[in-house]
Amino acid sequence: METFTVEGQIRDLRGKGPARRMRQNGTVPAILYGGRKDSVSLVVNTKQVVRILRSETGHNTIFTVQVAGGQQEKAMLKDWQVDPVSGALLHVDLLRIAMDVRMRVRVPVHTFGEPQGVKMQGGIFEMVTREVEVECLPGDIPEEFKVDVSEMVIGKQLRAADLPLDPEKIKLLTDPLRVLAHVVVLKKEEEAPVEAAVAAEAAPAEPEVIKKGKKEAEEGEAEGEAAPKAEKSEKKK
Amino acid sequence: MLMPKKVKYRKQQRGRRTGKAWRGGSLAFGEYGLKALEPAWITDRQIEAARVAITRFIKRGGKLWIRIFPDKPFTKKPAETRMGKGKGPPEHWVAVVKPGRVMFEMAGVDLAAAKEAMALASHKLPIRTKFVNRAEEL
Repeated sequence: METFTVEGQIRDLRGKGPARRMRQNGTVPAILYGGRKDSVSLVVNTKQVVRILRSETGHNTIFTVQVAGGQQEKAMLKDWQVDPVSGALLHVDLLRIAMDVRMRVRVPVHTFGEPQGVKMQGGIFEMVTREVEVECLPGDIPEEFKVDVSEMVIGKQLRAADLPLDPEKIKLLTDPLRVLAHVVVLKKEEEAPVEAAVAAEAAPAEPEVIKKGKKEAEEGEAEGEAAPKAEKSEKKK
Repeated sequence: MLMPKKVKYRKQQRGRRTGKAWRGGSLAFGEYGLKALEPAWITDRQIEAARVAITRFIKRGGKLWIRIFPDKPFTKKPAETRMGKGKGPPEHWVAVVKPGRVMFEMAGVDLAAAKEAMALASHKLPIRTKFVNRAEEL
């Protein structure tokens, strides 16, 4: 297994200005917490973090954080923020790891093989859940769960309980009945007849406007009050 | 055309389109997606045109998700009308899209087909877009 080290420095500066300058210099703001110790604000090397995220073990990689002038600590990526347009890393949360304490992690599920339902029956293989949550010791975290789906036919599902895991070491926290993948029949798209399409375009259909419930009640009350008054006026006449 | 079934009010104020799409910016369902790079109001017709372009290209095989919904009414005054006399009637429906928003997602097709389908869809939209792939996301 590949070992990773992330070099960091204690961060004193706060706010968006300093954070933006850090990002321009090839670093990213980070925070290190957990392990019943105080949290520490850091600046870490962006490339090192991206290399961890793109590694085979992904965000479940246990690596060493080397803080300048401090000691080394084992950590894991707990969370990370990415710019929605550029995809650049903006901030990372690092979690201190104790190798003898069980922890909850999300492990990716990967499938292999072409399902029978796709090859023979013309269905579509759809991945519904891509990660499952498990509880285990940091040393026992699996890289991924690999499942052979070549026997799957239309209507058959792969559920969390079907995952090959060692129950002594790993406890599945995701609902065992949760569907991970299935082969579904593709709905045929019926092209609307031209006349109907033209009619739909011509008619400026408007959605229903929700009326206020209170108004109706008030109106009802108003009508109720008005009715006896009318009766009285008739009597006077 | 896509539009809400029920609304609380018939007309809305225009609002602002500043900032990026901090939600709905990553792939949630499929393997590939089409991401907006500019802010825009995407109309119901544009969404429908893009959907038709994708489904016609992939024919059978492949699943499509539309991640935007036109829930904002767009009003317009009739032609040759003098100013004033209130806001015009609702003309069509738009989806407010900010940069970074994943608008369409696909699965069940190969990379080349997905790229081609998304390129066809992007031609139906009034903004610059980017093809995104789950394998390349952080």
